[in-house]
Amino acid sequence: MADPADTPLALDDIRVLDLAGEPGMYCGKLLAELGADVLKVEPPGGDPARRIGPFFHDEVAPSKSLYFFGLNSSKRAITLDIASADGQALLKRLAATADVVLETFPPGYLESIGLGYDTLSQIKPDIILCSISGFGQWGPHSHYSATDIVAVAMSGMMHLAGFPGEAPDQPYGNQAYYCASIQACTGILMALLHRDATGQGQQVEVSMQEALLMNQETAMQYWDIRKELRGRMGNERRLPAIGVYECQDGYVAFMVGVPGFGSPWPALMRWMVDEGKAEDLLEERWQNLFGQLDMRLVAEIYFGNDAELVATWVPRLAHIDEVLVRFIKNYTKAQLYAEGQRRGLLVAPVDTPQDLCVNPQLNYRRWFTPVEHPELATTITYPGPPYRLSETPWRIRRPPRIGEHNQEVYCGELGLSPEQLAALTDAGVI
Amino acid sequence: MQTNRLPLEGIRVADFTWFGAGPIYTQILANHGAQVVRVESQARIDGLRLAHPMPEGKYTLNVSGYYNNFNASKLSFTLNMKHPKAPAVALRLVAVSDIVAENYTPGTLEKWGLSYQRLQEVKPDIIMVRAPMQGGDGPHADFSGFGAVISPLAGISHLSGSPQRAPVGLGTNYTDYVINPGHAVIATLAALRYRNRTGKGQLLEVAQFESSVCVVGTAILDYTVNGRVQNRQGNRLPYAAPHGAYRCQGDDRWCVIAVFSDDQWRALCRAMDDPQWCHEERFDTLQGRKQNEDELDRLVEGWTSTRTAEEVMATLQAAGVAAGVVQNARDTLENDPHLKARGYYAYLDHPEAGRTAYDGPGFRLSKTPGKLQSPAPMMGEHTDRVCREVLQMDDEEIAQLVIEGILF
Repeated sequence: MADPADTPLALDDIRVLDLAGEPGMYCGKLLAELGADVLKVEPPGGDPARRIGPFFHDEVAPSKSLYFFGLNSSKRAITLDIASADGQALLKRLAATADVVLETFPPGYLESIGLGYDTLSQIKPDIILCSISGFGQWGPHSHYSATDIVAVAMSGMMHLAGFPGEAPDQPYGNQAYYCASIQACTGILMALLHRDATGQGQQVEVSMQEALLMNQETAMQYWDIRKELRGRMGNERRLPAIGVYECQDGYVAFMVGVPGFGSPWPALMRWMVDEGKAEDLLEERWQNLFGQLDMRLVAEIYFGNDAELVATWVPRLAHIDEVLVRFIKNYTKAQLYAEGQRRGLLVAPVDTPQDLCVNPQLNYRRWFTPVEHPELATTITYPGPPYRLSETPWRIRRPPRIGEHNQEVYCGELGLSPEQLAALTDAGVI
Repeated sequence: MQTNRLPLEGIRVADFTWFGAGPIYTQILANHGAQVVRVESQARIDGLRLAHPMPEGKYTLNVSGYYNNFNASKLSFTLNMKHPKAPAVALRLVAVSDIVAENYTPGTLEKWGLSYQRLQEVKPDIIMVRAPMQGGDGPHADFSGFGAVISPLAGISHLSGSPQRAPVGLGTNYTDYVINPGHAVIATLAALRYRNRTGKGQLLEVAQFESSVCVVGTAILDYTVNGRVQNRQGNRLPYAAPHGAYRCQGDDRWCVIAVFSDDQWRALCRAMDDPQWCHEERFDTLQGRKQNEDELDRLVEGWTSTRTAEEVMATLQAAGVAAGVVQNARDTLENDPHLKARGYYAYLDHPEAGRTAYDGPGFRLSKTPGKLQSPAPMMGEHTDRVCREVLQMDDEEIAQLVIEGILF
C-alpha cells in the first residue's frame, strides 16, 4: 500500500455537518477517515461525551476523554448553541455548504427548532439528512428513550448473550452505537451515489433497534421455520472442543470437529497423543466413536431433539471433554493458538486488550496507528483502519479540542469578523 | 417521492464470498440495486446451505434459513472452480463486473489465476474486495477462522459479560452480521464514488480481525495510554445506576433500565410510585447509588419482578426513563408492535422453503429505499440466465460447459 500522506482520499469532496451525539460519533469518524470534511458541531462547553471516561492518565477533564478521542478523531470541531436564534441562523449558513447533515436528536427535535429536512432542503436542495435514533423517526415507539442497552435488548441480540437462567449480557462498548453508525454511514454513501447520479438529496433513517436485528444470527429463523426459541447457552459444551476453555493464563476458544467448520477430531487427537496427554482416548472404543461423529449426528446432538440419542452420547462426550479440559490447562493462550493453528485446528485466544496490543499479526501489519497529540505533548497509539483501500487509504488525525476550529470556520469560511465572533462567544451562542 | 432507480442500479458484482460476513455484505449491495452473481459450486458447497435451521424433515441445499436470510436478491451461478477451464469463465464474468468480492483463505483466488493484477487486465477499473480473516500478509495470514472465533480473538468476549463468569462472548458470531459486512460495504461505496469521479478502480481489503478490533477501541486506548487492562463489567457502567437487566414476571423475561442522571433517577422513583427505599439518602446521588449498587439492583428488581417486562417498559418510558424489554426472536418477529408497524421483516415465497421471514435493510432511504428483490436463489438457479444474459453464451457453448462439468 502507498504512503498515505501522498495519496488521494475517497471522500475529499464531501462535507458533513455532524450534530451527532454518542450513537452517531463512529459514523462521523468513518466518513472523516475516508477523507470527508466532518465538521462536528458541539454545544458551548463541549459534547457531553467528553465527560465520559476513561481519561488520559485518569485526569478527568473534557479535553482528555479517551472515549471521546477514539470516536472523534479526524473531525474538525466548532461550538454552537443551536437552540438559540443566532445559532440557528449560523447553522443554516453552514448547512448551505454541507453535503450531509448527521444528527441523533429525539425525532422531531430539528423540526421543532426550524431545522428539519424541509428547511434544510430549501437551503441546499440536494442535502442528505441522516437521522439516528433508538427506534427511528416514526412508529409507536419512536419517542422512546433509548441508550445502548435499550437498543441491544429490544433487538433480540441481548437475549442470546450470557448464561441460561441469569440476566442477559449487554455487549461491551456500546455496540448499538457502532452498528447504528455503520448502518448510517452505509446509508449516507448510498444516498451520495444516488445524488451524484441524479442530483437528488434525501433522508437516511436509522433505528438502532433495526440496525441491530441482524445480530440475532439465526434466532429469528429458528422461530419462523421451526417454532424453536434460541436462548443463552453460556458455556454449555454439548460437543467437546466447541466452546471456551480455561488455560494456564486465561481462556481459549476451540471450534474443532464440526464438519465444514474447521478441522476434524483426529488432528486434535494427534496433538494430545504427541504431547502424551490423550489418557484413555487412545482406546479403540473412543476412536470408533470419533468416526461416527458426522454432520447429521453432530446436528442432532447439538440441537437435542432426539432424547435417546442425546442420552447415549452425552456421557461419552462428557468424558472426552474432561480429558480435553485437563489437556488445555497445561498451556498458555499463545501456545494453544500457535500450535492449534499449525495443526489446522480452529483455535483462538480470548484476547485481552493487552494481548491485542502485542499481537504479532496486528503489529506486522502496522495496524495500530500513532497519532500526535501536541496539546498533551505526546503521541497516542490508536486502533487502526477497519479497511485498507489501495488508492485512497484510510487516514487518521487527532480529535479536535472544544471549539478548535471556531475561528477557521466562522471567520475564515462564513466571513464573520473577529468582533462578531467574540460577541457571539460572549453571548454563549458559540 | 420515491424513484424507481436504486442507488446501485447498473452495478454488477461477481460474488465469490461464502458463509456469513461475505454474503451479507453482497446482500446489502443487492438490496440497493446491484446485480449480484453468486459464484457457487456443487463441488464446494457453501457451508451455510448445510446449516440449521431447516424445516423439519426437509433437509436440502435450498431451505436453510441461515443461508437464505443472507442471500436474498441475488443470482446463483454454479461454476466449479476446481475445473481447469473454470477460471476463464470466471474472468469473462469479471470483465463485465464492477466489483469482485471474495473471503477465501489468502491465496485461493491466486491459485485460480484470479489475482488483482489479472482482474485489472480484463477490467481495468475493477474494484476488488477481499475479506480474509487476518489479512493477506503477516505471520498469521494463513490462520483459519470464522465469526465464532473472532469475538474471542478481537477482545469482545473478554470484555463482555459477568466478571464472575467465563468469557463466552455474545452467543453468536457477532461480527459476521453488521460489523464486518458493514465495514466492507462502506469501503466499497467509497471506492465506487472514487471510481465515478476518477475512473480508477482499486483493491480493498477488510481483514475481519482488524475490522472487529475497531469496535473495542475504548479499551484499546485505555491500555495504550493508561496501561489498564479492562475486564468484563457485566451490565454495569461506571457512570450510571441503576443500569442493567432486571427480572420480570414470567419465564426468562427481563427488562433493561438505564439511569444516568439524578433527574432520571427521580423519574424512575416516581414511576415506581415512590417506595420508601427510594427516599433513602444513600441513593440520592450517582455516587451513592454506585456504592450501594447491589442493594439498589435488588430493590429495583423487587419492583420489576411482580410485573411483566412489557408493563415495566411502558411504565418507565411513559415517565421518560430509558427502558426496554429483552426481546427474544418471537417477540421481534411477531409481537413487537413497533417493528410490525414499520414492516421491518419481509416475508418471501421460496419454491422449496415456502413462505419465510427475512431481515429487511438496517437503514432506510426516503427516496430510494433498499428492499429485498427476490428470495434467496436455489443452488444454480440462475446459471443458465447468467450464461445467456451476462456472459452472452449460446446454447452450444452452455451445453459444452455442462458436459465438461464446468457449470456444476
